[in-house]
Amino acid sequence: MGSGKTALAAALCRTLGAEYDLAVVTNDIYTTEDADFLRRNAVLPDDRIEAVQTGCCPHTAIRDDITANLDAVELLESRHPGLELVLVESGGDNLTASFSYGLVDVQVFVIDVAGGDKVPRKGGPGVTAADLLVVNKTDLAPMVGADLEVMRRDSAAVRNGRPTHLISLREDPSAASVAEWVREQIRARTVQPA
Amino acid sequence: MKTVVEVVARAGPGGRTVLPVVRASGQLAVRRTGPSTVHLVATAFGPLGGDDVEVSLVVEDGAVLTVRSVAAAIALPARGEPLPSVQRIHASVAGALDVGLEPTVVAARAHHVAVLTAELADGAVLTATEQVLLGRTGEQPGRWTGTTRIERASRPLLHTTVGLGPGAAAWLPPVAPRAYATTVHLGDGESGVGTGEDAVRLPLPGGWVTTAWGAELHRVVAAVESLTDPGARVTA
Amino acid sequence: MTAALLTLADARLPAGGHAHSGGVEQAIAAGIVHDPASLGTFLRRRLATSGAVAAGLAAAAWGADAAGLDGLDVEADARTPSPALRASSRQQGRGLVRVGRRAWPSDTWDALPALPHHAIALGVAAAAGGLAPCDAAQAAAYLSVSGPATAAQRLLAMDPLTVAALTARLAPEIDRVAASTTGQNGDVGRIPAASDPLLDLLAEVHAARKDRFFAS
Repeated sequence: MGSGKTALAAALCRTLGAEYDLAVVTNDIYTTEDADFLRRNAVLPDDRIEAVQTGCCPHTAIRDDITANLDAVELLESRHPGLELVLVESGGDNLTASFSYGLVDVQVFVIDVAGGDKVPRKGGPGVTAADLLVVNKTDLAPMVGADLEVMRRDSAAVRNGRPTHLISLREDPSAASVAEWVREQIRARTVQPA
Repeated sequence: MKTVVEVVARAGPGGRTVLPVVRASGQLAVRRTGPSTVHLVATAFGPLGGDDVEVSLVVEDGAVLTVRSVAAAIALPARGEPLPSVQRIHASVAGALDVGLEPTVVAARAHHVAVLTAELADGAVLTATEQVLLGRTGEQPGRWTGTTRIERASRPLLHTTVGLGPGAAAWLPPVAPRAYATTVHLGDGESGVGTGEDAVRLPLPGGWVTTAWGAELHRVVAAVESLTDPGARVTA
Repeated sequence: MTAALLTLADARLPAGGHAHSGGVEQAIAAGIVHDPASLGTFLRRRLATSGAVAAGLAAAAWGADAAGLDGLDVEADARTPSPALRASSRQQGRGLVRVGRRAWPSDTWDALPALPHHAIALGVAAAAGGLAPCDAAQAAAYLSVSGPATAAQRLLAMDPLTVAALTARLAPEIDRVAASTTGQNGDVGRIPAASDPLLDLLAEVHAARKDRFFAS
């Protein structure tokens, strides 16, 4: 909670919006706040943002019964036939949150430094199995007494070679490294014309 | 007792409506009270449980008909078997029909069944209002079951059955109102959703249905009217 | 009955039902549902009206051809004048078709309109799954209360055992509602049309809210 997921989604929209035909689905813990945040920040036009109600269970909506999210993605696809990238954002609610691969191709798990440098060590499916782990708010590390090296080392230890990016959206609002990782994923999944 | 009412409205010369058939037998009489208005007049106490009223209204293309009643009907229980009293109104409309009878008061232990079926031709206009009060003053509520089925060109536009009073499956405290009113309008004015306190207006193709409920009939009727677009009503 | 009915009525079937409260979220906001007793009343109310209608439509949709299903779709709309309830029903219908096609492949799915009412999709699912029309009615009646019960449990942090007991004790009424929908003999006019204007009002007020957990 509050680790900067929506801010990261907004950053990716700003950075990648000009390169790709993209849209966003938000799974809100409560209200359509996240969708409204994206709209307010004019990151994307309204018709490229869909909010999903999760029936008090964001977990269920992204992992166990992905119907509402599939509906939202299909709606966006029908509205924008050239869609190349859909970001599905969920508040999750704890470290055990994870997306079903029936819904997404790759998933990014976002934690922040303010949660303490022990979070990566604690693991959980989000931290260990996400295709990319993002540790946000590195600028706060000195203030909260978090050791970034510990976080980097512990992440590497539990993630079996999967990447971890330590970022600060405050210092780099473009989320350049995450955006580049997303580009690589798209390239890897795009069939090159012969 | 069986009561049958038949009224046919036809377009006459000069755009006026003529009523070639105005017929009633049983416990209701029909009086022509205006150029295109008839009033139903009860000639007996009731209806009583077991009574059966059938009203057939035909409004031909270009004709206009308004149907009213002179006083509230008080549905009373039968002495013997607990049979409901039944009132069926069947309307076949190509012109414009406005049916708005005075309230039905359902006495304690009585069960009144009201059925409105309407077949509308393309271009037909229908307004139908129903007002119900369960129990006379100081009396336990009776039971009312109202069904509305409206079709246009054989396609159903609205089909609902509302059950009120003790024994009705969905009439359960804390929402078990004594008073209920509904107006359905079809033909010349689609309207969006409207909500009020214990009142809701829902859009229908070319019209709407507004329903309200509560403790007192006059307030419920006012709630329906407050959600009703006056411009959409039939003027006859 | 076959075990397919258990799958069809399973709350964990990924058909999207978990995000719909069947009016309970708004009933709680309006103070109508606040404890197990008031939840029980609400569930009976819903079962007797939208549950009965859904059961009748589901049974009628069993084995219907494309023209029959289109006709039932119109009948379902006529019995569901609330736009919010129509949207919720069609959203759940679409979700059921998505998983049903995979679970029980059959040509009958193609006879459905693009966004079918949930009850009609249930009837088709029952047919595709080798079940009987009465099973379709049973599933529809049961789902009309099981989802809302769980939603109330989540929203009010009610004791799950109490809520499970409430739903379980509704079984005889669910059976009665399901049984009452047989014998329509193809006459769509005889499909139950029981309506509760309170549920219409709750659904419309809910749909206009921004601060909601549930889609309906």
